[in-house]
Amino acid sequence: MEWNCTLTEDRLSDYLDGTLSREEAAAFEAHAATCAKCAKLVADVRGLVTRMQKLEPLAAPPMLVTRIVNATTGPQKQSAGWKNVLAWRPAVLQPRFALGLVTVAATILILMYTAGFTPTRWKHADLSPGTVLRTANRQAHLTFAKSAKFVNDLRVVYEIQTRLQPEAEPQQAPAVPQQNSSPANPQDRSQASPHPGHSQARTGVLLASLL
Amino acid sequence: MEPDAQLVQDCLRGDGPSWEELVRRHARRVFNLCYRFTGNSTDADDLSQEVFLRIYKTLPSYKASYGAFPTWLTSVTRNLLVDHYRRTRRDRLTDSIDDENAPQLEEKPSAMRSPDKIAEAGELSAQIQEGLAQLSPELREAVILRDLQGFEYAEIQAVLQVPEGTVKSRINRGRIELAKILGDMGLRPN
Repeated sequence: MEWNCTLTEDRLSDYLDGTLSREEAAAFEAHAATCAKCAKLVADVRGLVTRMQKLEPLAAPPMLVTRIVNATTGPQKQSAGWKNVLAWRPAVLQPRFALGLVTVAATILILMYTAGFTPTRWKHADLSPGTVLRTANRQAHLTFAKSAKFVNDLRVVYEIQTRLQPEAEPQQAPAVPQQNSSPANPQDRSQASPHPGHSQARTGVLLASLL
Repeated sequence: MEPDAQLVQDCLRGDGPSWEELVRRHARRVFNLCYRFTGNSTDADDLSQEVFLRIYKTLPSYKASYGAFPTWLTSVTRNLLVDHYRRTRRDRLTDSIDDENAPQLEEKPSAMRSPDKIAEAGELSAQIQEGLAQLSPELREAVILRDLQGFEYAEIQAVLQVPEGTVKSRINRGRIELAKILGDMGLRPN
C-alpha cells in the first residue's frame, strides 16, 4: 500500500487509537520508519496525548458547590451542623491557607510566650486584662534587663581585650618609640619591652576588680 | 453510589441533598472544561455556576433518551462556552479597534498573562493551557473533550452535534497543531 506524509498526518489519531486496519498500520509504520519528519510528528503527538490523558484535573474552587447550591435551592439550613463546618475543609487544605494558618498559629504562640503565658499551666485568672498587662510588663522588663546584662558583659570582654592588646602594639610599630627613647633610661626600657610576669599580674588585678 | 439518573429523579421530586450530590459529583468536571476552554479561573467559576443554574431550571426537560447525564451536562456547558466565546470575541474586537498596537489580542486571550497562569499547579498543565489558547475554538473543544475529559467519539459527536468524521478530523488536527505549538514553545511532549 502506498503511503505518504499527508496520509500520515490525516490518519495519525486513527493509528494512535489502533483503529487502522493491519495493512494500513503496516504501511503507516513503514513510512514513519523512513521519514524523519513523520517519525518526529508521531512521537510528539503520541507523547502529548499520553501526557494530556494522565494530567490530573484541576481542583474546583472550594466554595463553588456551596455557591451553586445556595443560588439554586437556597442557603443550607443551620441544622446541617458539622456538614457546614466540613464544607470549609477543602479551602483549609489548600497549601496557601494551610501555610497561612501555621504562620498565624506560630505568631500567636510567640506572642503568648513573650507575654509570659504558658499554655500548659494557665488559669482563668491569667486571662484577665490586668494580669495579662502586668505579666507583659514584667516580661518586658526582664527582657530589657537581660539585654542590658548582655551588653554589659560584652563591654567587659571588650575592656579586657583592649587592655591586653597594647602590649603587642610596640613590637609591631617600633619606629616612633625607638627614636624618642634613650637606652640609658631604665623606665623607657621597661615600657618598650615589658616583663611577661608583670603583664599576667596586671590581668589578674583587672579581672579581680571586674568580678 | 447512586447512578446519576436516580439522583435526577430524586431532584425532580424536590430532594435538596440529591441536587447537592449531583452538583458535587460534576462540579469539578464542568469547572475543568470551562477553565481549559477560557483559560481564566474567574470566568470558569462564573460559567460553572451559570451551567448549574441552567441545569437546575431545565432539569424537568431532561430525558434519558438525550443520552447519559454527563453528556447532556457537557452539551449545556459547551453551548454556554460558545456563547461566552462569541460575547468576549466582540469585546476583544472592540479592544483591538481601540488599540491598534495590540491586534493579536483576539488570538491570545489576555487571561493567559494573568496571575491565574502563575498560580497554576503544574508547569506542564500551564504550557498545555497556553497551547490550547492558541488553537481555534473548534479544535480546542474537541481536544479538551477527548484528551482532557476522556469522552468517547460518540459522546463528543452528541455534544458537538457534528458527524463522527468531523469529530475525528478536529481531534486529529487539534492534536497535531497543539504538538507543534508546544514544540515551538520548547516543550518536548515525549
